[in-house]
Amino acid sequence: MPALFPPWSNRALRGALVVAGILGVSAICFPMVYVRTPFVTHEHLAVDQPVAFDHRHHVLDEGISCLYCHADAERSAYAGLPSTDVCMGCHSQVWNQSPLLEPVRRSYFSDRAIAWNRVHSLAEFVYFDHSVHVARGVACAHCHGAVESMPRVEKTVPLDMGFCLDCHRNPRKELGFDAGRDLGAMRLEDARFPAHADHAVTGLTTCSTCHR
Amino acid sequence: MTELFELHLRRRDLGRLVAASVALSGLAACAERREKIYPYARRPPGVVPGVATHYATSVVRDGFAVGVLAESHEGRPTKIEGNPEHPASLGAAGVFEQASVLDLYDPARVGGARGPAGLTSREAIERDLAAACAKGPPPWFVLEPSSSPSLERVLAALRRRLPGARVSFHAPLANATRYAASELVYGRALEPQYHFEQASVVLALGADFLDGMPMSLRHARDFAGRREPGPAMSRVYAAETSLTPTGTLADHRLGVAPSELERVAAAVLAELATMSETRVSLPDGLQAALAPAAPLPEAHAAFVRSVVRALVGARGSALVVAGPETPKSVQVCALLANAALDAPGRALTFVRPVLLEPDGGAPLAELPDALRAGAVGALVFAGTNPIYSAPELELGALLGRAASTWCLAHVEHETARACGSVLAESHYLESWGDARAGDGTLSFVQPLIEPLKPSVSVLELLAGLASDFPASGHDIVRETEHERLALGLGKPKIADFEAAWEREIQRGFADRGAAPSLSPVLVAERAVPALASALAASHAGSRASGGQDLELHLARSPTLYDGRFSENAWLLELPHPLTKQSWGNAALVSPRTAGALGRRTGDVVELRAGPRRLEAPLVVLPGHADGAVTLELGFGHAISENLSNGVGVNALGLGVAPGAAAHVAVRATGTKAELALTEEHWTLADDEVVHELTLRDYTQNPPHFAQNLAAQPTLLEPFEYAGTQWAMTIDLSRCSGCNACVVACQAENNTPVVGKDLVRQSREMYWLRIDRYLAGSADEPRIVQQPMLCQHCEKAPCEYVCPVNATVHSPDGLNEMVYNRCIGTRFCSNNCPYKVRRFNWFDFSEARGATVLQRNPDVTVRERGVMEKCTYCVQRIRRAEIAARRERRGLRPGEVVTACQQTCPTGAIAFGSLDDESSEMLRRRREARTFAALADLGTRPRTRYLAKIRNAEHEEAGS
Repeated sequence: MPALFPPWSNRALRGALVVAGILGVSAICFPMVYVRTPFVTHEHLAVDQPVAFDHRHHVLDEGISCLYCHADAERSAYAGLPSTDVCMGCHSQVWNQSPLLEPVRRSYFSDRAIAWNRVHSLAEFVYFDHSVHVARGVACAHCHGAVESMPRVEKTVPLDMGFCLDCHRNPRKELGFDAGRDLGAMRLEDARFPAHADHAVTGLTTCSTCHR
Repeated sequence: MTELFELHLRRRDLGRLVAASVALSGLAACAERREKIYPYARRPPGVVPGVATHYATSVVRDGFAVGVLAESHEGRPTKIEGNPEHPASLGAAGVFEQASVLDLYDPARVGGARGPAGLTSREAIERDLAAACAKGPPPWFVLEPSSSPSLERVLAALRRRLPGARVSFHAPLANATRYAASELVYGRALEPQYHFEQASVVLALGADFLDGMPMSLRHARDFAGRREPGPAMSRVYAAETSLTPTGTLADHRLGVAPSELERVAAAVLAELATMSETRVSLPDGLQAALAPAAPLPEAHAAFVRSVVRALVGARGSALVVAGPETPKSVQVCALLANAALDAPGRALTFVRPVLLEPDGGAPLAELPDALRAGAVGALVFAGTNPIYSAPELELGALLGRAASTWCLAHVEHETARACGSVLAESHYLESWGDARAGDGTLSFVQPLIEPLKPSVSVLELLAGLASDFPASGHDIVRETEHERLALGLGKPKIADFEAAWEREIQRGFADRGAAPSLSPVLVAERAVPALASALAASHAGSRASGGQDLELHLARSPTLYDGRFSENAWLLELPHPLTKQSWGNAALVSPRTAGALGRRTGDVVELRAGPRRLEAPLVVLPGHADGAVTLELGFGHAISENLSNGVGVNALGLGVAPGAAAHVAVRATGTKAELALTEEHWTLADDEVVHELTLRDYTQNPPHFAQNLAAQPTLLEPFEYAGTQWAMTIDLSRCSGCNACVVACQAENNTPVVGKDLVRQSREMYWLRIDRYLAGSADEPRIVQQPMLCQHCEKAPCEYVCPVNATVHSPDGLNEMVYNRCIGTRFCSNNCPYKVRRFNWFDFSEARGATVLQRNPDVTVRERGVMEKCTYCVQRIRRAEIAARRERRGLRPGEVVTACQQTCPTGAIAFGSLDDESSEMLRRRREARTFAALADLGTRPRTRYLAKIRNAEHEEAGS
């Protein structure tokens, strides 16, 4: 009786086992990798906005500080977008005929908000507080990247829990204090902050720091 | 779900649908949806998104104001706190103040206007009303009692414009007996002011001074200051029919039927009239007038003897308080007894009546006859619901006799339903107003938000009719205040009024707005004969009825007041402080009376008073007076679309006014009612749950319960604590069980309401409940109320059974609940010995009618399948820590206040850090009476309790 399987079937079976193994591993690994790609985290996706606002011009050309427009970052959980009257503070005088600023003028005179598209979003169950991070010496760029060089704002870090924990577990290293940065010296120049012995950088990793 | 199963699909169609759903499900991810951000176009001054602001305003009930601070998140009021500067609040808020914010967002609120011909506009209704008032017979207005100076001006103008107009001030619980009593004793109507910080011995005659009187929040705070165990601890005797928070904290309590209360009051006064120390202050002939018609039972007589001994012993710092709902004779006795005890000028002072027309204005009882005679033109109900609250007048059938009927209403209630035109009433957080507190302090009602639905306030509506006033409530109130200040200075106009006005609005009350204290002189000529005739009449009345009947006692509901809050879901579900009944009321009787009737809790009985009858479930309440039955107001509404439809029975349906003497025949019906009693839920069966003892035992032989806190052996790994160590100490001596903390917790932490069916399944969601314990005999129970919340155990039994680490410990001593990790095994709840963990069986947060706008944005809204529990208000802790870090300082002592602590009228709850030596929490924790609940389990809870100390006369030690 001739052999039921030809001699190459052994190789075929081994090959099939290898392929099945690879498929099995990738079925587990692929989603894990995928959720970390910009397809899901939305990193490096420049977002269109209703107003063609260019940070490069405002920050680099005009030298306007972040806090001029995002003033709540120092006192509230939300950094906030500037209300239209902040824009109109300058643009009622300069470029007040520019067609690019038509949506701004429409918003101001009709008292209706400009609907900006959110770029940096956190899950609803995360209570992130801008004010304390700013006060403790976390630079805006640490989480938002070099916004001053972006024509349209994009996310540069994943802003997932791992990103937060990297810093919260090892703040001295991440914030550059191990490399000689001195928060005390930086902040004491600012008269609003009284001199205080405690400039210790602390990492809070207990759950209720962010989840309440 | 049922609709799904009724789809008649063939097997293959179903298969195709499933396949298509799976195939297309991935597409949902393709269309990326960007979240939008809407910044202000023009930012309102002072608003920082993400930072809550607080505004001073006032909650007004039956004309009495309580100053509060309303928390606003970007213009959205979410929470009410007491105003620490306001004399009627001192930072505390009661159940009704806390719950009032929910009414603002009630989805069933009336909005806009409805005329006889259908929906119309507010302006059209106001125009038609003005026309209707001007023609035909004079109009009749039925208003809530008020103390508003602005309303006073408006009503004066209205009467000038509409001569013959009649105005009634109606509320079922408002009555003028205290004014009539002071008229008799002092020759003028007076508002008594009680100063419990001055009182060493207090006798409460049917008076729930801790919870049921206009200045109760202040009373509670003053009273609690005298309850530290020690020589200065005050002693309270209470005689009351049902049980109240005051009775809970009383050192000696006597359950008396309403008629007996009068006899007890008379006996106390008669005893004082025989004693040489006190006789001199009393009018002659008093003893003869007080000669009791029948001797008191021995228990009552013994109570009277010991009360009088204590009162006389503390002469000068003794106080007798009669409840505002008690008969005039009781109040006269109390005033005379106070005079004999030298209380006036010390623990008792007087101001002139705070209310406008304290006698109630035009008697509402005359309205039916006037309607029958066709003498009423426009009949206007503004903020009142007499068809429900005065059923004996049978107004429902008579409304057609008025030329036209109008109702200003918050929700569709019985009167609104019967009226021709209905206009929406503004919530107090939407409208301007003014009112006086119980001590006369002029307080302002300041809105936080534009009306959510087109609506108008009572003041604006009447001012529109009077037509000499500005259109906006703000301008009317401002004008009134300007006139008042100008009058005070004797000038026609004030130059710097704007600054004064701004300051007053910011504080919430007027600088020199308190009423001056009066020193009235006793006039005995009228008091003695009036008292004699009142006592004789009531004795005759009680002899005439006699028989098997029970005395009827109508009481204010501690959860729904008089029914005006009946659409408030928080209050409907709130368990009664003593019966622990949720979603309903009941006929309350003593165990002995229930035994005589042969009935038990849950049996439905029929109560009959004359031609009227109603059926109510029985609830047996130890400590209730024998021979009497208590019904609480506020339930039994019958508007089918409403939340309150069919919940409980309307106690007013018997046609008896609260405070009036009446008897009811009680008969069993043989049926049983399904009651939602939370008392048996989460029962903790252990000796180590609560402790109570007398002051003498405590001082002579301090117990040191804390020795059982010495670390018990544990198998758990030691935990590394760091930084601030949060802990709570709750003084059971101060807890009256008033429920304010329960509602405050619910408002702060977005806790849902679940409904009667789920409450019956022990699925209520309260993070903080109050457990009621009874000790002693069923006739004279000693009550201990214990707020029970997550104990934040250091060796927490919930933590090591969680398979997903969803409940973990924080270095600052909190037992944390991580909702996102929770998979809903409920192991933690099963292993929790305190039974304080709550499981979301359904998506309550997305239920129909959920008041999304009220929610606290700082607390996660939990979804189905997640466990939750008290967090020690971790959002407040973290907020304070962030502020401290931002400002580069340490936490200030007392900077973190939990929601329950903040609202507690008696200050029973103290919270703070174990490393803060200055904290009140730590000071109390070091008292010998500190104990930990269920300490023998070795859980090492961070929450500690202080044993309840009763300043009892010599008797055997409590259990």
